[in-house]
Amino acid sequence: MKIEGEHTFNGPRNEVWEMIRDPEILASALPGTQKLNKLSDTDYEGTMNVRVGPVSGSFSGKLVVSDEVPPQSCTLTVDGKGAPGFVRGVGHIKFEEQETNTTYMTYEGEVTIGGTLASVGQRMIDSVAKSMIRQGFESMDKALEARLANKSGQQVEYKPPTETEFAASVAKDVAKSWYQIAEVRMVMYVIPAAILLALIGYILSQLLHR
Amino acid sequence: MSGEYKINVKVNGKNYERMVEPRLLLSDFIRHEIGLTGTHVGCEHGVCGTCTVLFDGLPSRSCLIFAVQAHRHEVVTVEGLGSIEQLHPLQKAFQEKHALQCGYCTPGFLMTLVPFVEKHSHPSDEEIREAIGGNLCRCTGYENIVEAVKLASAMMHTSKE
Amino acid sequence: MDTRYIGKPIKRLEDPRLLTGQALFTDDVHLDGLLHAAFLRSDYAHARIKSIDVSEALKRPGVIAVYTAEDFGDYWHVGPLQVPPPIAIPNAKFHAKGLPPIARGKVRFSGEPLAVVVAESRYIAEDAAGDILVDVEPLDAVVDLEKAFEDTSVLIHEDIGTNMAALVKQEKGSYAEAAAKADFIIKRKFHIDRGSAGAMENRALIASWENRTQSMTIWTNNQAPIPLRNTIASNLGLSDSQVHVITAFTGGGFGPKIMTSQADDVLLPWISKKLNRPVKWIEDRRENFLATTSERDQVHYCELALTRDGKILGFSDVFYHNTGAYDPYGMTVPLNTMTHTMGSYIVPNFYTEVRMVFTNKMVVSPVRGAGRMYGNYVMERMLDAAARELKLDVVEIRRKNLIQPEMLPLHTGITGQDFVENVIDSGNYPETLRKALEMIGYEKFVKEDQPKLRAQGKKVGIGIVTFVEGTGVGPYEGAKVTIEGSGKINVATGISSQGQGHYTSFAQIVAEQLGVEPKDVRITTGDTDQFDWGAGTFASRGMTVAGTAIYLASVNVRKKILKTASKALNAPEEELEISGGEVRVADIPTKSIKLGDLANRANPTRGVIEPGVEPGLEATAYYGPPYGATGQGSVAIILEVDPETFEVKIQRFVLVHDAGNIMNPMIVEGQIMGGVQMGLGNAFYEEIAYDEYGQLQNASLMDYLIPSATEMPPKIELGHVVSPSPLNPLGLKGVGEAGAIPIPSCFHQAIENALENKIEITASPMNPSRLFELTHK
Repeated sequence: MKIEGEHTFNGPRNEVWEMIRDPEILASALPGTQKLNKLSDTDYEGTMNVRVGPVSGSFSGKLVVSDEVPPQSCTLTVDGKGAPGFVRGVGHIKFEEQETNTTYMTYEGEVTIGGTLASVGQRMIDSVAKSMIRQGFESMDKALEARLANKSGQQVEYKPPTETEFAASVAKDVAKSWYQIAEVRMVMYVIPAAILLALIGYILSQLLHR
Repeated sequence: MSGEYKINVKVNGKNYERMVEPRLLLSDFIRHEIGLTGTHVGCEHGVCGTCTVLFDGLPSRSCLIFAVQAHRHEVVTVEGLGSIEQLHPLQKAFQEKHALQCGYCTPGFLMTLVPFVEKHSHPSDEEIREAIGGNLCRCTGYENIVEAVKLASAMMHTSKE
Repeated sequence: MDTRYIGKPIKRLEDPRLLTGQALFTDDVHLDGLLHAAFLRSDYAHARIKSIDVSEALKRPGVIAVYTAEDFGDYWHVGPLQVPPPIAIPNAKFHAKGLPPIARGKVRFSGEPLAVVVAESRYIAEDAAGDILVDVEPLDAVVDLEKAFEDTSVLIHEDIGTNMAALVKQEKGSYAEAAAKADFIIKRKFHIDRGSAGAMENRALIASWENRTQSMTIWTNNQAPIPLRNTIASNLGLSDSQVHVITAFTGGGFGPKIMTSQADDVLLPWISKKLNRPVKWIEDRRENFLATTSERDQVHYCELALTRDGKILGFSDVFYHNTGAYDPYGMTVPLNTMTHTMGSYIVPNFYTEVRMVFTNKMVVSPVRGAGRMYGNYVMERMLDAAARELKLDVVEIRRKNLIQPEMLPLHTGITGQDFVENVIDSGNYPETLRKALEMIGYEKFVKEDQPKLRAQGKKVGIGIVTFVEGTGVGPYEGAKVTIEGSGKINVATGISSQGQGHYTSFAQIVAEQLGVEPKDVRITTGDTDQFDWGAGTFASRGMTVAGTAIYLASVNVRKKILKTASKALNAPEEELEISGGEVRVADIPTKSIKLGDLANRANPTRGVIEPGVEPGLEATAYYGPPYGATGQGSVAIILEVDPETFEVKIQRFVLVHDAGNIMNPMIVEGQIMGGVQMGLGNAFYEEIAYDEYGQLQNASLMDYLIPSATEMPPKIELGHVVSPSPLNPLGLKGVGEAGAIPIPSCFHQAIENALENKIEITASPMNPSRLFELTHK
């Protein structure tokens, strides 16, 4: 699956770069993540236990940052796998400083999704990925806002969304696009699959936001 | 696992008390715990309709219900419909119209249709196709099933009238 | 023919049990101490296995054992080819790659088994499968049929140095010469993609080793129980007689259930023997999509050489056939394509070449229609293209080229799946076409109805095609017919049943001969302790081949009855009649003897039987045809396309079929109607979709759309033409696949016609979005 997109961060490029290279912030902006372990300056690993409905299993992911040109661009390689399947992907991210003191980010990459995720969750991958990306950006925006405010002496608390809030929001987004699909025969089937896909979204957003 | 719970389910008029895990599917409970293997499973995700039983009188997919949810409820399976010696009119009509081939999906069709034929005395083809639209059959192409439903409705309602 | 039961729509004897939930399917078998198996399957389509760590799985309470390829030691072996290489065809190239029962070293399709967990319950087994850690090195996946041949392509089987599984060329006459003489040459490329057999019951197997009797019992829903028994025995070093395969009631077969040497039938018997406990595996639907063989994935490059007035001079078809990651079922599917491409038409010069390709997808083996559908599709679509080009009516171009009855039997010059030259034995092709046109009212529709409806803005169209169905191929089947001392009649044959009504139609044959009612005849199919010679249920051969064997055995038993009764009643055989379960002297009704008494006389407990006489009233017979019997037919469809949603509604559906003499018309019609559903699925709804990485995209019935009652035509109008086959005494031909074969070609022609030939469809399946794309190009 090819992915590409853009996002404008409301802050200077250096701040954005610093933020996305901070695993603490990233992990907190990606609900459901257990702490992201930094193995080296460029390698990270994270684990997640999933047990929802018929789907259960531990999902572990590795993330490598390469071709870094701070604060302009980097390449991310993600390799996650677990009982529900696997996600592998490579993404290239670029940051451009805008005159308005904002940062324009573009990303493009290719993701392979396999196993149960692909074979039974296919129809929702797109919408879930989009939803995860949207939400991920929203929380990053808030984190950035808090970060900038704190630097200027104000006390603004950044509260990342909880896993439940996040999943609920994804389910809502997915359901919206679902009603437009004519062949829907059995809505109950959506729920476990949606949750499954939240998982992909998690990996995707990890990939996309860093 | 997360322990076992005692449940009491009435199946075909008989009470069954069993200790089950909360995740046990009703379809597995019916088939493997109490041994009523007439209910079949075709897809395990609620699409094919093969595992349909009557749950408190309504056609329901037993692969989408946990056995614990059936505690103190009433289930009717194909075994509760008619016997070889005395077939239910719907069963009779299915044989008469060659509405089954491998017979695997048939119990699901029958249980889906029981309330339908009770309600409709002269259903149209469209109404019947709509009623069985959630049941998949790979052998018959459905036409003979539609014919069987018409025959069954006629048989059931003439005998009442 | 004056008959009591043959040709009659006898109600099925097996129905009451099936209708009341009293029929035993494999998963209904429960045994003491039963264990349950679950497979861990590869998420990757192509990868090198680095390690598989099962330690966590083994710790889970209730898990008895976990095995990977290494644990099977020397028992692990690549399975034999189930169908031999096409040695009968000169210069055929074939690379044999049998199925590994469980992946070792490498995985070659997503869904290939990596480990098997055995536990006290299926729930626990699946949990434990999720505990297994697999480390692999992913490799690029080969998914594109044509790119797989390129030098730069990754290799699936490195040892053969190519992704080419086979290359077979056959030619009748010379296409090049025909092309040189032709007024027109039409060229097209077609792609027909995969569909699932989609039997409602998934695959299933129970292996139960009994140490005390040193015997293995297998319950399964396999279509080839005897070959299955033989391979299981040979795998385990047992005598065939130590293995008993029982095929219970089976919830549909449609092809893939013929496969043996897969993970379940290779590993479970070994595990059961090792653990000395019965082990059950029931495939789930996702596994069925991922790891049960499927069919229909070919790319064709066709050329049709014609005269100005539409006479076929020659046809050339070079096609790629996807065999998936392995080719255990040989070349049955592409060979069927080759023998069915000329179809109902006179093709003086024909060139056919198949390039069979290994890809990182599930293995292809026959599914209802088995290769015939593509042959039919390309020929019929080429005729449509030619009709367009030459401004001929689609019916006219077909009529001009139809094989005429007086040309039969016709040697086609092309070798088929049975490794003998395909010969069309009998038929009346112009008649099936005429009848189909008449039934649908072709002239009236085209001249009156369609113009009127078009004027109202309705996109209505008509399609008409013909088809052939090679059926009832060899090698042989056999049957044993016995009259027991109780008077009961027992029949056993080696093929197994998947819902075809054998318990009734076979009984009709026997009842006719032995003067009893069908209900008095007990039929056993697919139980190797009852009968253990035979090949299996495939290629629409149950009735034609096994049915004929049953007939021949019945005839022999009848002879024995008459001979024995002649002595018992002291009357010449010519004066005897058999009916109502007894033998009577025609003129003296009181002089009679019951069949059971006669059977006891023929099986005395004391005294002597004459030298050279076999005891009992029993006979075994075998039947093997010299070549298959060819069924034929014509299909006509009227449909309407919604110009906005591109949904297609069938308004009329007519199929005229010639299956020779018919045993039970009710069952035959049922077979056709079921086939139509699958054909329609393949034309417009069903597609096993893989992405460019070899990942299956729609492994559920939620995403894979089997037509439901609301998608099917309101009525399937059937017509019959009867040209008895000269190949067997009852004049039978098979019919199991007829309904499926011609649907995509006819359906697509009708859609084009509805859209006033503004689009041309060259791929199957279509669907509303593809139609939209075609019309908005």
